[in-house]
Formats: sequence, structure tokens, C-alpha cells
Amino acid sequence: MTLTTPEAPAGLPAPTTPGRGRGRSRRAGRADTRLPRARARRPLLFWPVTAAVTAFVLAFVAPFLVIVTNAFKTSADYRNNGPLSWPEEWNWDILADVWERVGFTQKLVNSVQISLGVVLIAVVLALFNAYALGIGRVRWRNAFLVFFLAVNVLPQEGMVYPVYYVFREVGLYDTKLGYTLLIGVVYSAFGTYLLTSVFAGFPRELLEAAALDGASRWTTLWRIVLPMSWPTLSVMCVFFFVWSWNEFLMPLVLLISGENQTVPLGLSVLQGQYSSDPTAMSAAALLGVVPMIAFFLVFQRTLTRGISAGAVK
Amino acid sequence: MTLPRIPTRRSVRAALAAAAATLSLLAASGCGGSGDGGGQTFTIWHYEDPEGALGTAWQAAIEEFERTHPDVTVEFELRTFDQMQQTSGMVLNSDEAPDLMEYNKGNATAGLLSSQGLLTDLTEVAQERGWADMLGENLSTAARYDDSGRMGGDRWYGIPNYGEYVLMYYNQDMFEEYGIEVPTDQASFETALRRFADEGVTPIANAGNDHPAQHWLYLLALTQADQEWVENYQFRGETDFGGPEWTYAAETYREWLDRGYFAEDSVGLVGNDMTESFVAGEHPIMVGGNWWYGGLADDIRDFEWGALPYPGSELAPGSAGNLWVVPARSQQQELAYDFIDITMSPEIQALLGNEGSVPVSVDPADIEDERARDVITGFQSLEENNGLALYADWPIAGYYDTYVAAVQNLMNGARPEDLLDEIAGPYEEFAASLG
Amino acid sequence: MTQKTLPQRLWRRPTAARGYGGYLAPGLLLCLLFLVVPLAMTIGYSFTTWQGIGDPEWAGLDNYTRLLEDDTFWASFRNIGFIILGMAVVPTLLGLMLAAVLFDHIAKRAPAALVNGLRSGLYLPQVIPVAVTGLMWGWILAPQGAVNDLLEAVGLGGLTQNWLGDRDLALWSVLAVLVWMQLGYPLVLFLAGLQRIDPELYEAADLDGASWFQRFTRITAPLLRPELYVVLVTTTIAGLKVFAQIYVLTGGGPGDATLVPSYFAYQNFFERADVGYGSAISTVMTVMVMAIAAVFLFRQNSDDRGM
Repeated sequence: MTLTTPEAPAGLPAPTTPGRGRGRSRRAGRADTRLPRARARRPLLFWPVTAAVTAFVLAFVAPFLVIVTNAFKTSADYRNNGPLSWPEEWNWDILADVWERVGFTQKLVNSVQISLGVVLIAVVLALFNAYALGIGRVRWRNAFLVFFLAVNVLPQEGMVYPVYYVFREVGLYDTKLGYTLLIGVVYSAFGTYLLTSVFAGFPRELLEAAALDGASRWTTLWRIVLPMSWPTLSVMCVFFFVWSWNEFLMPLVLLISGENQTVPLGLSVLQGQYSSDPTAMSAAALLGVVPMIAFFLVFQRTLTRGISAGAVK
Repeated sequence: MTLPRIPTRRSVRAALAAAAATLSLLAASGCGGSGDGGGQTFTIWHYEDPEGALGTAWQAAIEEFERTHPDVTVEFELRTFDQMQQTSGMVLNSDEAPDLMEYNKGNATAGLLSSQGLLTDLTEVAQERGWADMLGENLSTAARYDDSGRMGGDRWYGIPNYGEYVLMYYNQDMFEEYGIEVPTDQASFETALRRFADEGVTPIANAGNDHPAQHWLYLLALTQADQEWVENYQFRGETDFGGPEWTYAAETYREWLDRGYFAEDSVGLVGNDMTESFVAGEHPIMVGGNWWYGGLADDIRDFEWGALPYPGSELAPGSAGNLWVVPARSQQQELAYDFIDITMSPEIQALLGNEGSVPVSVDPADIEDERARDVITGFQSLEENNGLALYADWPIAGYYDTYVAAVQNLMNGARPEDLLDEIAGPYEEFAASLG
Repeated sequence: MTQKTLPQRLWRRPTAARGYGGYLAPGLLLCLLFLVVPLAMTIGYSFTTWQGIGDPEWAGLDNYTRLLEDDTFWASFRNIGFIILGMAVVPTLLGLMLAAVLFDHIAKRAPAALVNGLRSGLYLPQVIPVAVTGLMWGWILAPQGAVNDLLEAVGLGGLTQNWLGDRDLALWSVLAVLVWMQLGYPLVLFLAGLQRIDPELYEAADLDGASWFQRFTRITAPLLRPELYVVLVTTTIAGLKVFAQIYVLTGGGPGDATLVPSYFAYQNFFERADVGYGSAISTVMTVMVMAIAAVFLFRQNSDDRGM
């Protein structure tokens, strides 16, 4: 934290709804005599609850195992034992075959480029918008918010034809740039709404202090607002990356050439009109998910923050 | 408390920096088109499985084309059927249009594009190059469209080089195991169904959430119908959903469901589930398109099987296969015609047949595999007798969904009358629109 | 810097703040260009008969009168309530509970690796492409699929069902899959929001002997109100717009048991090339979604003021 304001707290901002939250917890706190009993009970409950949640999560991810096991089965194995058995042997050929058939390397590069581009556009635009709306509280703030929410609601399939005609006229049809801009702007509308909502509870004392120090709008954004928004911003980055990675309808319509297509589009080639090879489909699914999981592991900490903060005493 | 935040901020910053870098890359790649070298390029799109009969034959055709046109660079791209269905109008109306592509025959597909002026009229060239002679009247119905894009018109907008129809696949071993004769007409077909059901075997593999279920309905109507009835239904907007053909079809379907000839739980299945259950030997009979043939030939290892025209009917759902169409914006129309010529050559036609498809112009003697020859001769006799009845959903764009929903409802217990009412609704609108 | 001299006044009158317009302009402009122009065009198309190519033909209100009489369209709306339950209500409530349990219970004592694993596992479905999800659950819910096998294995063979094929069950099956897909989204947002909460608050509550449930209802849930609103608004909108999930799971069937408006619009846009009618459906949906969004925003705003 590199805050220059005198009253900047070292850690997290004060709770946003102090009135209600504190008042109630104080009331709850009157029963001092209950203290020892409450303390003693909690460790007993800890393991059962943890075990229950763990079991729930294991059941939750179990379906994904179906994809993993089928990706490694031979066709004969799949045919004889169905989709739900354990593979007789782990066969890597299908993965390699699918990789080659769909030109996976190129699609991977495209997807990474596009998703990173989308994240950049969407996060920067959303941050600026939300700064003006949530922190700045500009005039017509609510009208603007309704606007940003509203542009988000037009169903995608309804946008296909208009976007096609606009893009064709301006030469953005079948370009990664055009598609990235479009999705970035769509997501920025969502991000604006999310960040503005979170900024509504931003501690005004900090802003006032910054203003007293003579900080400009720009400085306030970078030195105060941005550092305090990292948790939400980083979660937004993850969302946007994952969502844009998995987009299907818009890239289908807007990215025509094979050299521009994204991973999900490339993999869909495996599903023919009449034929579909389940093991190849599984392998394709696995290939589609692996980059996401890798990304996920890299950004592990981002999502972990929420929990670790609670763990720190 | 401040410590954990730092790595996060760094990683986000790193991501944003990387994103900025890629964005500039994107901008750069956005401007550069595909650079042409000195020679010509010829772009072909299709959406068939590269390992399947069509994919294999067309790959051979591309190689032959490259041999006969050494100065032309062929750019082939494999598309998906869904993508073509959803985007072909837009693509063909832009500079991204290929020089030649495969497209589905039908009013909602090739017909629509032709009426929008996006396809080249091939009428003259089909005469010049002899394609019209190779494809008879019955077969070329799906290649010809009128001004409003309705099938069966007088102008050619596409050239098919293979055919397709719905036929009966049977598991020889299961028939032998239960001592049941392979049926040769509708009566013996029903006898076989009853005997299998008596033995506790569900005789027919089906798939409610896909085309097979509606093929059955149409096929049952065809057992009672003639060519005239088909033409009235397909082209003239004249059909009586209360008439004997449709009533028989709906009531028989209901009856067969009730008697357990169809698996009750197949209502949510798709075509691939159906073929899997046939391959797994769960059902002795599967009625389906010859497009499954190649896959079955590859996959069935454990029993003897055969493929014959459906025994109970002179007519069968079927038509020419998908079309080669030449987009109006194609830069290389002559090359496109040369390519179509190659796909019609005896070599490629024989290759199609030997790979398990039904070529439009082949001498059965050129086909080595006996079972594949059965399928081809079955098709040829249907074609000669004008027995290709097209498909139930063809009269109206989007009718397919109506059929899927209506037949699913029947499978879930609806009455035959309800089924006929459901499919009659859109048809009446269609008939009215024909004036 | 003018605000240097007038800081008090500026911060005291938040609605009249100046100097922020520059921050709003780029985002606003791009939204206008990329989203409002297409929206306006869609509304325009909705008054025409048009196949997507060539010249649209003016049709006045024909598409809208047809829509009013179209049973399929209204059938598709009937299902939307369920979809919102599966995409918005259940995941939000479940996500809130799980976030609180993870943050305020498990993370306090369990090793970090376990907590990471749990959170990652719950987020995994969000990462899987929808097409893959559809394929996977298709296998699992098939008549001979995993669920039925499992039921038979534990001796509950009588409970096996045709999960996606039965008219009455299909919607519930879809709903369950939607909850599965959707849960990670609110969970992660809530966990991020929980960081804003001062740990001392929990400590104080602990010292006071507050039970976990008391802490949940009196600290966690109230303080997450901004996230709660965001999650409810965005997932409700996503529910109204739901398309891909239905497309891959059931295609709207059996019959029209799981049909939703977006899918119905899609059929008209791409399968029937009836772009005018599809645009009318999209326009009606947009208006409805905007109305709902406005109600939410109004509520959220009055709550913000109340703080």
C-alpha cells in the first residue's frame, strides 16, 4: 500500500454498512456468559462441516471425470464398455490426433490473443466508467447505470445480423480485432455495473482526504481507488478471460477464416452433421479445458484471496 | 494484511500488460489479408468428416485437381455444418466467400441462398458439361430451384455427386438367434417386430431428439402412398393430415410404441445414441440413412449385419446428397466447374461407392464390397422408379423442429390426432402462402 | 487543479461532481457504437419481413401481432421462471452459504491447499465450455447413463428415470445442470466481496459468543449486499437470455418442454431465416429484461442511499 493520505488504513476499508452490521453484532454480544460454551462447541463441528463440504465438492467435480476418462479410451474400449467405465489403457493418440486435425496451435494462439485483448479492453473501460459513476457520482448516474445494464441485455443472437452489417461496412468482419473490440465492450458494460455497485460502498473519508491533499482525479484513481479495487478487478479479469474463451455464437458468425478461429470453434469441427466420435469429442473437450485450467492455476491466488484474508488472524 | 494483496496486483498487472501487447498484435494482424502469391488460389469449403466416405473421396478429388491444375494453389477449409447453416448467407454476401463449397440441399438452405442471388446459376454449364444427364429427373429435384428458392424449379443452383436414402439395417446374428426371417415386405416386417417383442427384445433402435424419429413417421405414411401423394405434399401444398396415409402413419407409430417395438426411453436420444445401441447389439433393426453406413462398417465387429431398402415400401425418404454450389462472388468459377467435373469422374465415383457412400453415377460392378453394392443397387432401383420421396420436413423452413417436437410428444404418450394437429399447423400456413 | 481549493464542496455534493466526464466518455461512446447501434437496427428489423440478405420489406406491426398469438413463444416464457430459479436464485443462495462456510469456518483451521482445492472445484464448471458441459451431462443423464447406473447400483433401480426425455422431468434436470454450471460465479464474487469485511468484526462477534449462523445473518450477508445485487441482477438477466445451455442439453425438447425465448429467437434467425420475426422476439425480450433490470436498480439504489 502506497497511500499518501494521512488517514489511510493499513489494510482493508472499513465495513460498508457499519450502522446495521455493528449494531446487531453488539446486541448479539450481550450474552457474555455464553462465551465458553460457544468456544468449546466450534472445533467439534469443524471437521464434520469440512468433510461434508469436501464430499459435496468431490461429487460436484465427478462429472468432469467422464470427459477425462473418455478422452483416453480407444474407440473399441468406448464401444464395449460405454462412456462410464475406466479406460482399459491410457491412450494418448487421440489427443495428438485431435490436436493435429483442428490445427490446435493456431487456435490456441488466437484464443489467448483474443481473450487477453477482451480482458484489457473490458477492465480498463469498466474501471473508468465505474470511477465516474460510482466514485464521481456524476449527474444522471442512475440513467447511465440503466444504460450500461440495458446494453448488456440484448440477446446475442439478436445482435448477429446488425453487427455483421456494421462490421462488413467498416472492414472488421472476419478480423480478430473487430471481434475482440465487440466482446470487450459488451463485457465492459457488465464490469461497469459490477464495479459501480462495489464503489457505492467506497469509504468517502479516503476520497476526502485525498482531495484535501490536492490529489488530482487521475492520482486518486491510481493511488487510492485502484489499489482498493484489486480483489474485484482481479475476479473480473478471471471472469472475462473465461467467458471470452468460451464464447461460441459471436465468434462463429464473426470469425470465418480458419486462421482467425478460436479454440471452441476449431474443436467443433469434430462434430459432423451425422457423425460424431465420442472419444474424439472428449479429447477435444479436454484440449479445450486444459488451457483454462492452466490459466486457473496461474490465477489461483486471485480467487484465493477472499479466503486467505479470512484466515489471517 | 497488506502482504497477500501484492502478488495479486502483480499478476493482474502482468496480465494487463500481456493483454496490451496482444492487442497491438491483433491490430497488426487485423489489417493484413491473406497474401496471394503469383499464381491463382482456389478456395474450397466442405463440412464432411475427413475420414468418412465423402471426405476421403473429395480429398482425392482435390489431389487430382492439383495434379491437373499445377499453377493453382488449392486452399481447403473444413467447416462445420452448424456454422455453415448459421452463417452461409452472411459469408456469401461478403468478400470472404469461397470459390466453391458444399451446402445442404433444401428450400431453407440452398434454395434460400439462390433466391437471395448468392449462388451462381449452373443451368447452362450443367448441360454443357453433361452433369444434367448424369443426374436424372428424380435425383436432380434437390439441385433445381425456382425464383423464390423452392425446390424442383427449372434452374440448377448446385450439383450433387452422391445420393442418400433411408434404409433398413439389420443384425443378422440376432435374427438367427431367435429364428426369425429377415423381412421382405411390410407384413413380414411386422411379424418380425412382434416376435422380437414377444422374446423381450425391443426390435427397433430409434432417436426422438433427432431426425430418425420423424423418418419413421414419414416412412410409415409412404408405405400407403404413391408418387403423386409425395409431389402434392412436397411441392403443391396439398396434403390431407386426416387422410389414410397420415392417419395410418400416426396410428401405427402409436401402436408400435404401445407394443414396445420402439424403446420407450429413446425419446431424448440423438442419432448417434441410436447407432451406438445398434452397434452394441441391443436392437436387431435400425432404420436410418445410408449416411450411417460407413460408421457402422467401421464399428460393427461382433456380428453379421446387412443393409437393404426398407421392405414395406416402394417409396423411401431420400434424395440427392448435398450440393456443390458456386457462390455468386466466386472469383474462380471455371476452376469450380473443373473441380465438379473431377468429382463426377468414374474414379472418384467408384471411390465414393467403395468407401460406403452412394455415388450418383457408377456401375455397381465397380464396387467391390457386396454389402455396399446392395446399398447402391437399392438406391438405383428407387431412383429409376421415382421412389425418392425427399424428407418430411422439407416443405417448410424450420419444419424440422415442429416434427421433432410433435414426434417426441407422441413418444411421451400423446395421441396420434395430437401429432397430426401439431404438424398440420405450419403446413396450413405454408399452403395458404402458396395461394 | 481547481478542486484543490474547493474540496469540501465537491465531496459534499456527490451528484454534482465535475471532472469525471472524460472517464465516462470512451466507454459510453464504444457502447453506443457497438451495442446501441445494433440494438437500434434490431428494433428496426423487427418492423420488417426480412430473410437477412437483400432488402427488408416494411411489415409494420405484423411481427408483433403474430408474436402475441404465437403459443410457442408464450410456452417458452413459461419455462423462464424455472430457468431463473436454476441460474439466479438457487446458485445465489447456495453460493452465499458456501462462501460464508469457506471463509468464516473452514479457512480458519483447514490447510490452505484444501481450501484452494474446494474453491477451484466449485468454479470448475464455469471454466468448461458449454458445449462440453452439454455432451457430458448428455451421457450422464441418458437412459443408460451414470445417474441411472448409480441408482441401480445402490438398489434404487425403481427410481431410474429418463431424465432429459420425460416431459415433466426434463426441465428439472436442466435446472439441476444449470445450478451446477452457475454456482462458481456467485461464490467467487462473494469471496472477493468478503475481503472488504474487517476481520475484527468477526473477532468481536466471536468474543461476544455469536454463533456461526448469527455471524452469517448479521455480518456476512448484510455486508455482501452490493455483490448480492450484482449477482442477482446479472444472473437473472443471464437466465432471461439463456440459450447455449438449452441448445446443447435438450434443443428445447422434448416437445417444447424446455424451450426458452432466446432459443425460439435463434430458430427464427438461423433455421427459418425469418430475421424480422426473430428481431421482434429479441426486441420484446430486451424490453422485458430492461424493465426487470430497472426495478432491481431502483431497489439497489434506494438501499445504497439508506446506508
